Amino acid sequence: MERNKRLKLEVTAEKCRRNVLRMVESSGHGHLGGAFSCIDIVTALYFYKMKIRPEEPDWKERDRFLLSAGHKCMAQYAVLAEKGFFDKSVLDTYGKLGTKIPGHPDMHKLLGIEANTGALGHGLSIADGMALGLRGKAKVYVIMGDGELAEGSNWEAAAAAAHYHLDNLTVFVDFNGLQISGQVEKIMNYVPIDEHFKAFGWAVENIDGNSMEEIIDVLDRLPLQKGRPTAIVAHTIKAKGITFAENQAKYHFWSPKNGELQQAIEECEAKIGKIAQEIM
Amino acid sequence: MDTIKRDPRKEFGKAVAELAETDERIVVLSADSGGSAGFKDFAEQHPEKYYEFGIMEQGITGIAAGLATTGKIPVFCAIAPFVTCRPYEMFRNDLGYMKQNVKIVGRNAGFTYSDLGATHHSLEDYAIMRMVPGAVVLAPQDVGEIRSAVKAMMDYNGPVYMRIGNGAIPDLKKEAAFIIGKGEILREGNDLTILSTGSITGEVLCAAALLEDQGISVMVIGLPTVSPIDCEIIKYAAEKTGRIMTVEEHYICGGLGGSVAEVIAQSCPVPLKIHGVPHVYATSGSYEELLRYYKLDAKGIAAVAKDFIA
Repeated sequence: MERNKRLKLEVTAEKCRRNVLRMVESSGHGHLGGAFSCIDIVTALYFYKMKIRPEEPDWKERDRFLLSAGHKCMAQYAVLAEKGFFDKSVLDTYGKLGTKIPGHPDMHKLLGIEANTGALGHGLSIADGMALGLRGKAKVYVIMGDGELAEGSNWEAAAAAAHYHLDNLTVFVDFNGLQISGQVEKIMNYVPIDEHFKAFGWAVENIDGNSMEEIIDVLDRLPLQKGRPTAIVAHTIKAKGITFAENQAKYHFWSPKNGELQQAIEECEAKIGKIAQEIM
Repeated sequence: MDTIKRDPRKEFGKAVAELAETDERIVVLSADSGGSAGFKDFAEQHPEKYYEFGIMEQGITGIAAGLATTGKIPVFCAIAPFVTCRPYEMFRNDLGYMKQNVKIVGRNAGFTYSDLGATHHSLEDYAIMRMVPGAVVLAPQDVGEIRSAVKAMMDYNGPVYMRIGNGAIPDLKKEAAFIIGKGEILREGNDLTILSTGSITGEVLCAAALLEDQGISVMVIGLPTVSPIDCEIIKYAAEKTGRIMTVEEHYICGGLGGSVAEVIAQSCPVPLKIHGVPHVYATSGSYEELLRYYKLDAKGIAAVAKDFIA
């Protein structure tokens, strides 16, 4: 991919991270770790890959995006705001009474949200149904958490997607390796994740899920195999982008204190400035 | 009451198939359950509208939600406890909270899987399914009503749970349009009202006849919509007969009786008897034996009613 195009996506992802911090500022807390580990992928989907119309969010032929791990929704809100689905002032209502952007997404509150996720292990089944109903018309993209893989319902959905040859369905597993109580592999091990999906009949690939270059590269090659759904194991870093928080389970849910938020904002804005300078 | 009995599952499947002939949105989902749900012919005639998933009720409920977001009307019918208890969170979130136009049908409900034991009985479905905001809960009382309820649930834009039984049941009345949320007086009377739902209404009508012979005049009201409940007809019955008894092939807590109690306690306090299955894992036996054992056959219902008004 052309360097400038990539850099523009990278700076957009950082702006989306800044939007997330704005939401945290509004509510005083939020599921930061997962939002920041997957936000590069969400940015690439909305700004590079998906067939969507921000001015017509319920356009029938649109591609669908679901966060099966609904607690990462600040990432989706941030990207939808950056893409123009709603006014950024709405970000300041996060965590407030009657907000359109609650702690887990609600499709009836905000156009652009496709499913009411939050309870884990639901998104992939819903995505299967969407992919089945939209076959030949639109694509469906899902982000799942790695800890979420322990929900058995995912594997029902994984079998059904392969059985019905849903090659318009792509799943990113946000493999940051950490869930609320610690290391995913110690809590309930699904590693090697790719081999699990492969055994169910999926086409699989591993990428660095925080590398825009690798994300774009794999998006350009979808479906990886005709007639098979695609599972991309995205190796990511929890809370990616905030140096002091990266790769620590305690930032799964973050209530910033002692100047942490300001530090995060400064780091994020510095990065936006730095990448912007690199764009020629 | 007609002496001819008809198979509820077969007629249910036929009713869905007839509507699917002209409504392209209707699709049928199966959890290795289609044949027993009356969809054998449908699966052969409309393979493009029939999806087999194997035994994965949680997955299918979510898949149904996803299909519904694309404009389909998925109908998912399987053994009642397996489409209610097991995927309950999917019903609550993916269908209820997401307001998706999916029809879940619990077959072989109540005691109709009689001797297969408590894992296969469905005695809590009214209670748990009516807890989901916006979900309609239907329990048609005879085969004609199953047919008209199928039409009504397809016309309703939102999640519906419908319960049907297994063995052949008698026709109680002429087939008529089904109005969701409306009850119907099936027999007039003055001393007591019995409110009933589901196929047990046939036994209730027989019980009313037995009581008539003993000089007790019973009004029977059928409430084939468990939720939303018909408050007006309950208030009317309370005022007219001053005593109400509910009968259901369901636990005595949370179901029709619970729903009626909520109305009576707050709007028209009168003595109330909730008759159904005690809150225990039921024993097993033939369907007729179970009805007798739990006093849900005509004789048992009549005896309970007589005690209540004594």
